[in-house]
Amino acid sequence: MRSLLSIFKRAKKKVKATQPPLPDRVLFKERYDCFQAVLSENNAVLEMMADMEEKLSGDYLFDMSYVRSNCEIMVERIHNLIENLNKLSNGKYRGLYDAFKKINSDIEGTLAKKVETPVTPFTIPFEQATKDMASSVGGKNANLGEIKNRLNIPVPEGFCISAYAFKRFMEHNKLTDKIVLSAVDVGDIEGLTRISREAQELIMKAEIPPDLESSISNAYLELSNKIAQRGGGSRNTSVRSSAIHEDAHFTFAGQYATALNVASENLLAKYREIIASLFTARAIFYHKSKGFQEEDMVMAVGVVEMIDSKASGVMYSRDPTEAGRYAIIINAVWGLGPYAVDGVVTPNTYVVSRDSDRTILEKNIPVQRFMLACNPEGDVGEAKVPEENKGQPCLTDNQIKALAEYALTLEKRYEKPQDIEWALDQNNNFFIIQARPLRILTEKPRKPIPTVLPGYKVLIDKGEIACKGVGAGKVYLITKEEDLENFPEGAVLVAKHTSPTFVTVMNKASAIIADVGSPTGHMASLSREYRVPTILNTQVAMKTLEAGQEITVDAINRNIYEGRIDDLVEAGKKENPFNDTAVFKTLTAVLKSIVPLNLIRPESENFKPEFCETFHDITRFAHEMAMGEMFKIGDSRDMRKGEAVKLEVKLPLEIYMIDLGGGVESSSKKVTPDHIRSIPMNALLKAMMTMEWPGPPPLNVKGFFTVIAHTTMTPHSQKLLWEPSFAILSKEYMNFSIRLGYHLQTIEAYAGDNLNDNYIRFLFKGGGASLDRRARRTRLIKEILEKVDFSIHRTGDVLDARVTKYEKSTILEKLSTLARLTVFTKQLDMTLFNEAMVDWYVNEFIKKHCTER
Amino acid sequence: MGEGKKLKDIVIPLNDYPHMPYWATLEEAVVLLNFTYDTGHNTLLVFDESYRLLGMLNQRKILTGIQPRFAKSSPGRITIEWEELIASSIPQQLKKPIKDFMSPINTIVDVEDHILKVAHLMLNKSGINLLPVKESEKVIGVVRMHDVFHEITGFILKAKK
Repeated sequence: MRSLLSIFKRAKKKVKATQPPLPDRVLFKERYDCFQAVLSENNAVLEMMADMEEKLSGDYLFDMSYVRSNCEIMVERIHNLIENLNKLSNGKYRGLYDAFKKINSDIEGTLAKKVETPVTPFTIPFEQATKDMASSVGGKNANLGEIKNRLNIPVPEGFCISAYAFKRFMEHNKLTDKIVLSAVDVGDIEGLTRISREAQELIMKAEIPPDLESSISNAYLELSNKIAQRGGGSRNTSVRSSAIHEDAHFTFAGQYATALNVASENLLAKYREIIASLFTARAIFYHKSKGFQEEDMVMAVGVVEMIDSKASGVMYSRDPTEAGRYAIIINAVWGLGPYAVDGVVTPNTYVVSRDSDRTILEKNIPVQRFMLACNPEGDVGEAKVPEENKGQPCLTDNQIKALAEYALTLEKRYEKPQDIEWALDQNNNFFIIQARPLRILTEKPRKPIPTVLPGYKVLIDKGEIACKGVGAGKVYLITKEEDLENFPEGAVLVAKHTSPTFVTVMNKASAIIADVGSPTGHMASLSREYRVPTILNTQVAMKTLEAGQEITVDAINRNIYEGRIDDLVEAGKKENPFNDTAVFKTLTAVLKSIVPLNLIRPESENFKPEFCETFHDITRFAHEMAMGEMFKIGDSRDMRKGEAVKLEVKLPLEIYMIDLGGGVESSSKKVTPDHIRSIPMNALLKAMMTMEWPGPPPLNVKGFFTVIAHTTMTPHSQKLLWEPSFAILSKEYMNFSIRLGYHLQTIEAYAGDNLNDNYIRFLFKGGGASLDRRARRTRLIKEILEKVDFSIHRTGDVLDARVTKYEKSTILEKLSTLARLTVFTKQLDMTLFNEAMVDWYVNEFIKKHCTER
Repeated sequence: MGEGKKLKDIVIPLNDYPHMPYWATLEEAVVLLNFTYDTGHNTLLVFDESYRLLGMLNQRKILTGIQPRFAKSSPGRITIEWEELIASSIPQQLKKPIKDFMSPINTIVDVEDHILKVAHLMLNKSGINLLPVKESEKVIGVVRMHDVFHEITGFILKAKK
């Protein structure tokens, strides 16, 4: 680090020694360009952050390539931001590169995480499978193995063709190289269809490698023996998908193929078919949109003894539609299960109480005329329901109760409500064919919130939503940072400005409202991290809302209501249905390296590059430092007048200007205020010209003593009085060092279209009078500026005031106030005999010149 | 009998004495002199922007400045109603710069001068109750008739005992 820095310094010196100095304008322009780059990268990153956080709300569909590409772009932007800050500051903040590298590698680590396919035999008998083997045999197989081996619930005989076998199959045919899904966008239906067709054709034509083929044959042989030993008739099997990730966190319900009653000679072809079903357009869409990566698309297969069912069906261990009902729901059809699952016929429905005697609460037995049955030669087909079964219940009461028992056992084992497929063979033996978590709608279907709730008084209906949601509570006004200390639990934070320091109460606040601020600001990002409903830029909240007043903040429809509306708060709550998926987990994980803000107060000890732990920290630090560095360009008092143009203006001020681009437009050498295009400079000059300036001194005064009054006056300070003023301008930017007496005064402003960029900084120091009078003047300025929302640091006669993040129009209004204040306080220190005089002037100024309020 | 005080002992430093730039309004001057009522200061020094002393403004000059016109032109008809004061041209007068009302500096004393010399200079010109004091070409403060009186009479009283 040190060596880098010294090289940098040396290189810089060398340039200075061998080349003639660059003109100021070029140097300023270079620095200004860097400054602008920092601003724009900062905004771009904040906007991207807002977008990525918004995705976590669950209202949007996105895939892993969204997360990846956003991270890539952000990394690039942050790097560029650091480069420009260092160019602007002559390499002062190279420590940021270390922070950047660390964060970047964390993000890369998160994105690279993926499930490795474990090396296992190509086939694994059900007897050896357990629920911990989902990554080897797929969720469905793992569950069946678990049920068979650990719960002693009857499951058909079978074996798994493992994920490792799939890998072998794909690699053997070089299919991983040939099928490239990442090239297709999740929204491109045509592309999805095309790539799906291509992939499926490739798979159906592919060869099953000999070692895999023989493994499957052996496993099949073993299965046949087991079935024979048990006295089973058919050796046919059902071949079922058991995709990796299926069931584990997400139900790929009905996405993949199942082949029933498969004769042994068709087994390998069906294996291909099941694998091909991994690549239907629908499945690819599903997969991508849930954030699985291409490498995660892995298909294990279950080869299961075919149960020639007399009846079969689906069972839920709880009622999924009515969360309140404490019951087990069983559906049953005559014949094979698909007619129940696919809803071809109306099944029997039994509702069984979950209490200890398993009371059958309801039975609904429609007449079923057709059923799905095994064909003797293989495959399945529709058959007539035998006459004696028509209109009869598929299950006896005892069978219903026995099934219900299984449901409860499974639910207990998996600690979650279960969705179970079952079959009853011709000998009245039950088999569990599949079990997976049941999704329950725990809430009433949510009513959409009306845009404006009738019957309630809307207090405020404008602003920008920074974090969606609804919150209610008592208004707590924040006017200064100390107010945060006593923030009450559940209150609504109302403030003029946003501040990252609000994070300290975000666990208590039920909502946040501010008069200014933007959804891409630092605090907005924190609101989203803490999920505090937030509306910014309301403009009138501080005026409209009263401390202690109860309000409801609808940060979905942007309304603030009088009183507490519990229904609205309830309606605003929602569960994110996707937060279990891989893409959500990945996004949530990378955002941890991006969003949290640790560098909150610029004056604090840890506001340093080495404490930057996230990209947000880096942008905040860089933005703050860039403003500081830019401000300093007005400091160089050796500016060469020759490069600057003089402004012809009817003011007792000598103003020279350097245009960095878009600040001045003049075809001739003569520049008047009409030629100024700099937005902040125009506002400032306009306001200055409306003020009454000191007239000329009396000419006919006799006894004119040319003696200097003030004993501390030095030749240097005497010189200040006659120095010209310098302005460095661009269209949106102004750095104006104004000479209006014995003090130093700089006004810097940025007034652009993005309010995150906008700010005014005002530095005021010194004066010609004695220290106490000078201090009185800074107090006077401080009091006035505080009334127009500047935040101020004052020590003695030095005053550093700022406003940030206001709309352009407000920034210009504040600049006008500053301009009037500048003229008003010209050599006013001379007059400030005592504090009472200060108070009088503060009132005078506010009365006469403060148009802001 | 000991020596009396030196002038420099009774000079009021500039910083402790009200002063204003010439472009300050008459209203500002009035406000300031009201705030200094308790200190007994009843005159302002007037400077230009580079702190050159231009003049002085005392209560007499200010009252003259706001004296209603009609009273000036016909001394027989003096305003006796307060309301008339406000209704008159006073508000316009108050907006004018103090350079229009101040009196020029004709006399300045040196900090090394004797108090008796200062008294002499004050008495020689009617209406002068205050003089600027310089020290090697810098104005350092003022000396008031009030303090000169106190020193001289105090000295006399002490001598009588």
